[in-house]
Amino acid sequence: MIISGNDLSKSYNQRKVLDHVSIGCDAGEICGLLGANGAGKTTLFKILLGLVTPDTGTVAVRSASNKKIGGIIEGPALYEYLNAYENLKIFGSIQGVDVSKKALQQCLESVGLPQDRLDPVRNFSLGMKQRLGIAIALLNNPACLVLDEPFSGLDPLGVAALRNLVVDLAAQHQLAIILSSHIIEELSKICHTLYVIKEGRMVNQGPAQELITNNTTTYTICADNIENSLALKAYETRFKGSCAHIHITADRVPELIFQLHEEGIYISSCVPELNMEKLFETTAP
Amino acid sequence: MKALIKAEIFKLLRQSKTWYALAALLMIEGVILFSAYFQGKNILDILLDNLKKSFYFEGTLLNGNLLVYLILNTLWFHLPLILMIIVSGSLTAEYKDRTLQTIMLQPVSKWKFILSKYIVAIGFTLAVVGMLALTSFTLSYGLFGKGDLIVYLNTLNFFPSGDAFVRLQYAFVSGALSMVFFSVASLTLAVIFREATKTWIVSSLFLILSNLLLKVDFGDTIFNRVFFAKLNDTWQNFFYFNINWTLVYTNSLLLCGYSLLFMAIGILLFHKKDIG
Amino acid sequence: MRWRLLLWGLLYLPASRAQGIDPDLLKIKNRMDSIVQFSASLKLNVDVSFINMPAKYARMSYTKGKPLKFSSEDFVMIPKRGLDFSLNSLMEFPFITVPRGEEIRNGKTYKAINIIPTDKRADFSIAMLLLDIKNNRVAETEINTKKDGTYNLLLQYENSSKVLPSLVEVNFEIEKIRIPLNFMGKDTDIDRKKMRTGGSKSGKIFLQISNYLIKYL
Repeated sequence: MIISGNDLSKSYNQRKVLDHVSIGCDAGEICGLLGANGAGKTTLFKILLGLVTPDTGTVAVRSASNKKIGGIIEGPALYEYLNAYENLKIFGSIQGVDVSKKALQQCLESVGLPQDRLDPVRNFSLGMKQRLGIAIALLNNPACLVLDEPFSGLDPLGVAALRNLVVDLAAQHQLAIILSSHIIEELSKICHTLYVIKEGRMVNQGPAQELITNNTTTYTICADNIENSLALKAYETRFKGSCAHIHITADRVPELIFQLHEEGIYISSCVPELNMEKLFETTAP
Repeated sequence: MKALIKAEIFKLLRQSKTWYALAALLMIEGVILFSAYFQGKNILDILLDNLKKSFYFEGTLLNGNLLVYLILNTLWFHLPLILMIIVSGSLTAEYKDRTLQTIMLQPVSKWKFILSKYIVAIGFTLAVVGMLALTSFTLSYGLFGKGDLIVYLNTLNFFPSGDAFVRLQYAFVSGALSMVFFSVASLTLAVIFREATKTWIVSSLFLILSNLLLKVDFGDTIFNRVFFAKLNDTWQNFFYFNINWTLVYTNSLLLCGYSLLFMAIGILLFHKKDIG
Repeated sequence: MRWRLLLWGLLYLPASRAQGIDPDLLKIKNRMDSIVQFSASLKLNVDVSFINMPAKYARMSYTKGKPLKFSSEDFVMIPKRGLDFSLNSLMEFPFITVPRGEEIRNGKTYKAINIIPTDKRADFSIAMLLLDIKNNRVAETEINTKKDGTYNLLLQYENSSKVLPSLVEVNFEIEKIRIPLNFMGKDTDIDRKKMRTGGSKSGKIFLQISNYLIKYL
């Protein structure tokens, strides 16, 4: 593991915010941390980034770089009165990084930001600020990137663009990337590994697709005349218009689709619905 | 360390509030100058009232030197008020905007970071006092000319123009040390309180209390001689006919000591506290 | 013709209006009147307990019949009394002189006379002069003014032939300054006893006069 946090606990005013939590991520891997608001995601990330000292446990980052880990906590924090170049220059110069114009242009290019914007950062959209925040986090070539709710507040296009950027960074630069969200759809599309945190405890973890598949107990299948299907009578089903919400495990979905096809019912969509209650059930020892 | 200091200077100069503060100070200085001119007339009338019975006066005492002296009398309250806002704001703004967090996410030493803030605060304070000294002398001499300086400190002291100019310069240097003390104190308060409004209130309170305690006589005790509030009018010692250099050096060293103490406390607290 | 001369004399010779004027005084007065114009360099040193002032430099110039003029690059305080060498201020209005015998100062003998103005318009009530008969000049003057207290002037000369002094010591009374608290400058240490006992103080000014350029009649 490039980064690993072991047995981390933290309390604030006798309130336990993190309870013996462990997390790890490898080079080129994207790990997702899923949890509701107030679950302890941000506190865990602050501990990983060294901003907060844990009550127990250790954080280890395997990297020879001067800057082992970069990140964004609770949204990008930038000098709003400075432009993108100046922000990069400030954060770069204080850690001895090359802040020549060429180097800064490369930084901006690597996160897909325009190089001709010289106005202050306060004029940037949230998506652009996120990108600039990532550019700053990437200064000095850290081995690991920690992003706290990076998709928060972004429009669908912004989410898609940022997702692609994260995937590129992991694949091309072999960064270990840990990102958090309270929305599973955002994580499910890009994460290799998923961690589920609830009330300060890690309740579930594993390969993302496996975790999602194992905890998906309902599928929404839409098709014309689906309410007439005989095959569906074997399952607990709720009909809504031309869609059926079917209580079924993932392994039986292909068979059902085949049966529907045999009945002349041609599906237009098949959407799995994750059972959040099941996902957040404590299974980890 | 050099990079941190350069970054701090860059941030300070790029923020509009710094320039607003400098403009405000120049405006205040201008207003003080012109009100001092009219106040000066009254003061001279009262001071010289008894002497007028026995003497004719040749030459004018209402000149640039007197006006710079009168500016100095009021400057040391207004100036630290504004300095404290800018200096403490250099840290509280970073807490508020969370840029402090971003900085601490880079491989930057905590104590070096806060030390660089203290160094830049001190440099900024000295530069501002220098600017005010330059503008006071330029405006006062330019508009009202040079001449003897009259100061009442238990006795009526008359200083020839050249001597007055030197004493006024020393007064600015001495006053600058007081201003550095207040700037450093405000930054330490910013480390403790983190939030801008609370820091301003406490800093202003600190300044007001210092000014009030300056006038309280604690008797002929060591406390009366070394208490920090008592050191802030050291500049006045330059206007006794014979300057007590021992007292001036002692007070200046003590003020520097207090500044270093506040700085050490601030660095220690900042280093120990979590940023998140 | 004679009546016109007399009238003219009465108008233009103020000394002649007084009756019983000491002849030695008249002699000195005439000697002073022979000076039409003079200018000199002045160095002033103030010796007052509550005033600290370094030596001041000025130029003074006198033209007969006109007030004394002073010029200086610095601020200077010129005593109102003590620079009238021509004795005109004492003899402006009718007066009488009363001999007071002799007085010895520093081993020298001087003739003491009182000048008492007979006109109410005079701004002094009595003046005492010590005359240096041998050298035909004034050595000391004490003037009791009606409003400004008493002045005492001690005149010293470079040598026996000089008519204008090289050093004048002016002693005068002056009230201590009363300044409202917290008015200006450092808060002064308030000594209540001193404040109550304070009041009139005496002061001195030393005038060193040199580089005379004198124009005689």
